[in-house]
Amino acid sequence: MSTLSLPQSSYIRDNSRTFTDWLKSWLLTVDHKRIAILYLLSINFFFLLGGLAATLVRVELITPQGDLMSSDVYNRAFTLHGVIMVFFFLIPSIPAVLGNFLVPLMLGARDLAFPRLNLLSWYLYMIGGLFALIAAVFGGVDTGWTFYTPFSSTYSNSNVVMTITGAFIMGFSSILTGLNFIVTIHKMRAPGLTWFRLPLFIWANYATSIIQILATPVLGIALLLVVVERLWGVGIYDPALGGDPLLFQHLFWFYSHPAVYIMILPAMGVISELISTFSRKRIFGYEFIAFSSIAIAILGFLVWGHHMFVSSQSVYAGLVFSFITMLVAIPSAIKVFNWTATLYKGSISYRTPMLYALGFIGLFVIGGLTGIFLGVTAVDLHVTDTYFVVAHFHYVMVGGTIMAYLGGIHFWWPKMTGRMYNETWGSIAALIIFVGFNMTFFPQFILGYLGMPRRYHVYPPEFQILHVMSTAGASILAIGFIVPLIYLGISLRKGAIAGDNPWGATGLEWKTSSPPPTFNFDKTPIVTEEAYAYPPEAAERDAAAWRPGSPL
Amino acid sequence: MAEQHAHAHAHHHGEKHTHISRGTYYRVFAALMVLMVLTVAAWWVEKNLLEIPGWLAVTIAMSIAIAKTVLIVLYFMHVKISSRMTQVYAAGAFVWLIILFVITMGDYVARGWPPQAGPLP
Repeated sequence: MSTLSLPQSSYIRDNSRTFTDWLKSWLLTVDHKRIAILYLLSINFFFLLGGLAATLVRVELITPQGDLMSSDVYNRAFTLHGVIMVFFFLIPSIPAVLGNFLVPLMLGARDLAFPRLNLLSWYLYMIGGLFALIAAVFGGVDTGWTFYTPFSSTYSNSNVVMTITGAFIMGFSSILTGLNFIVTIHKMRAPGLTWFRLPLFIWANYATSIIQILATPVLGIALLLVVVERLWGVGIYDPALGGDPLLFQHLFWFYSHPAVYIMILPAMGVISELISTFSRKRIFGYEFIAFSSIAIAILGFLVWGHHMFVSSQSVYAGLVFSFITMLVAIPSAIKVFNWTATLYKGSISYRTPMLYALGFIGLFVIGGLTGIFLGVTAVDLHVTDTYFVVAHFHYVMVGGTIMAYLGGIHFWWPKMTGRMYNETWGSIAALIIFVGFNMTFFPQFILGYLGMPRRYHVYPPEFQILHVMSTAGASILAIGFIVPLIYLGISLRKGAIAGDNPWGATGLEWKTSSPPPTFNFDKTPIVTEEAYAYPPEAAERDAAAWRPGSPL
Repeated sequence: MAEQHAHAHAHHHGEKHTHISRGTYYRVFAALMVLMVLTVAAWWVEKNLLEIPGWLAVTIAMSIAIAKTVLIVLYFMHVKISSRMTQVYAAGAFVWLIILFVITMGDYVARGWPPQAGPLP
């Protein structure tokens, strides 16, 4: 194919004559790639919204007094941030955008197994989001994203039911995506594409899907019971009605701890792709990385009680949860060691996606290791509900998931749009985000360790310097998120034509045109080699192609 | 492509199709109704006739509920005539349910330990 123009037919182009036809062709599409684009737009919208709520929180915390908003408004601001970011950005982000786009392409399939369910999942996501938005517009929620009972089910005077309904509906969207992926991966792999030839992104999404379909229903039930208690006074969680508040925490964290792995596992899948491609090497320890995803998915279900060390949970249960929590470190470490081993003697090129991948490894290690601190009951008693916890999970969620999400978006941008983004601006934005991120969240580790509790808008004056640093960092981070919006937007019109495989990567998605045709492949591909089969001379070719100023 | 499609079609028809007859559905439905009556009867007996110890009452209620669940999953949800893979996934879901129950109950059982020490400070 020519690299001078975009292909004549692709999933983006269509023959609709009127605007209504065009709109219909998008809103009623069953093409997984178009649904991925719908998800991309809507998820980024929610990301900006969650970011705005975060801005409110950070601006309030510049001074020790509560001078920008009342404590009640502050409660609603951080809850909005949490609910939007967790349920409407992080959980669907990589599976619904990159997974939707890539799973069939990587498998050599024409679409997902259930294209209509896929479209339904997007509509459910949007309806859930609408509920959350309406709840926010009419006053918001003040329970925190965790909806702890009996506050949420009895005492809170905010839009709990509306928000919970939003999260409940969105849960079904998540289940449908997981179901679709599992069936597609089992049933629709191209001839020759055996399980151990699958890209690791597929393994990661498979593990994620298992969590989605097994855990999400439990959240649905837990939240539904909150509504039942709130509306009809049926005693389930409220001790005054004969219920048990810890039952909610058990049910909630049975979902919400694995949900952390719903967020991070697909990110790890993206990183495996990036590290291998930009090191020009087969990934080190393929099977170990593949099975560590499954191990994380399974172990992730056994550790939820570590969110409840400082509750009336039995101390013996706490000890068991603490011990199993340590085990999760093993598969996580396996991944990190295998990625670094892949880098060893690779031909590393610092393209934008690789910058995000390297950033991910460092930040995830910090986020993961501080998780070990928190998993030790004795240390956790000291730092429970402090900024230490906030910093820890932001290192995993932002430093991990968002870095991988952005890395993946950049890496597959040429495949999605057919055009290249500006590499220089890409690198600059990646560096801004890395610096801004660390400046925002590293001070929070110190704050938390010194005793700054989370979810408070008034604090002792000695914490101010660290809070100001954190807010300054957040401003840099915000710039880092806005820059890609601009240059990616510009690239849609002005970007260089990417061609089928701009990175010289392996994988079936690079064997079709960019952007791909509606049914992905003209002929069903036949796979005869393992994943990441970079020839030994790939690195030498890279070195020979190097020119002064080239980013390779 | 057309050839491949035709092949896939033929393959689809070649599969062994078992299905659940209408009579079976009615019988399962009748069984569910009987179990429902049992549920209510057990409650009524406990309330009006006999002093049943709590553990026994829960065991009876749970047994009836499990029987209903098994009937629905096997027949109405077609797991009985589904492929092995579907059955594995259905069973897997119950393994996860057991994890949820066992670990949560582990907390409840261990909350009063050690009893002689009294409630935790």
